[in-house]
Amino acid sequence: MTAETGAPDPQEAASHPVTGLDEVVHQRVRLGILTIAHEARRAEFGYLRTQLDLTAGNLSKHLSVLEAAGLIEVEKGYAGKRGRTWITLTAAGDTALADEIARLKLLIARVETTDTLEGR
Amino acid sequence: MTTDSVPAGGDPRRLLSEVRGLARRVRVDQRVTWFALLVLATVTFVGIPFDWYFLVLRCVGDDAGCQFSRQGVLYYWPPALLLAYAAIAACYVRVARARGLGARVLPYALTGVALTVLFTAAWVAARLYFPSHPQTAPLPYWVLVLDRLVAPWGTIGVALLVLARLERNVALLVFTLGYLTVALVPIDFGWHWQGQDGTVFLPQQIINGTVLLLGAIGFALAGRRRR
Repeated sequence: MTAETGAPDPQEAASHPVTGLDEVVHQRVRLGILTIAHEARRAEFGYLRTQLDLTAGNLSKHLSVLEAAGLIEVEKGYAGKRGRTWITLTAAGDTALADEIARLKLLIARVETTDTLEGR
Repeated sequence: MTTDSVPAGGDPRRLLSEVRGLARRVRVDQRVTWFALLVLATVTFVGIPFDWYFLVLRCVGDDAGCQFSRQGVLYYWPPALLLAYAAIAACYVRVARARGLGARVLPYALTGVALTVLFTAAWVAARLYFPSHPQTAPLPYWVLVLDRLVAPWGTIGVALLVLARLERNVALLVFTLGYLTVALVPIDFGWHWQGQDGTVFLPQQIINGTVLLLGAIGFALAGRRRR
């Protein structure tokens, strides 16, 4: 914002962290899935369901969105007679997660700066 | 967690805190620290009779000091450490898989293997060098510390530092620093029996093994309480 006119500064608007947020990743459950898959190298469907406190159907929907975006790979297999689904982060998913976290940190920094300026 | 989309102006602090919380929980679920310490304690205790039995000691006079060759260390420790790291890696992978996760133990196992190779090379080199270059004066203190660092008990500690980093495990880091202090600084209560200097290296190994065993028990109890 410019101090004189109150009109939005196009440069500032373009560089604002909110504008760069990826709608696929910027969602609490999907961000949670990516985080777990990143930390765990690979995560099982049941583990994700328990940690994120979701129904199987709900989790499946989010996994489909992430898989369609190329951020995760879904691999189905068996452990004994039990079917198991493993989720692995792709390189694009890794980058998307890092970008999202960087933007969130930037957003926090912006909010704190704005709060400080308004407090003066 | 809810399935609601995060609004663009949502609370990024809360979101980041949730991400960090999830990451922490995954790391905790991947840990089998007690097993790693138990294996290393077992390997240490089993190695004690090897060191004692194969110790070659040559004492010249009453005050002239003794020359020794710890052949048992070279016979026992390289294969024992390699087997230990393989067992630890296999257990980590198995437990993590059973919990629905992947494991991040490979860098630890590889560090352990690399340090085992380093220790073996250093001890073989020392064994070739010292017989033809007998020491008339005591070795400098830093050489002795370096010697303990590349010895099996020291390399166990260095590799555990890598595991603590991989697991982001502060408790393991603190434990390992304590263990390394014990392993690198000689503790001598004058326990060895008179006239049986072949036992001179045993107390330190008993202490190292006991510290590792106590660590294994402590981490097992802490893990049990957490679940």
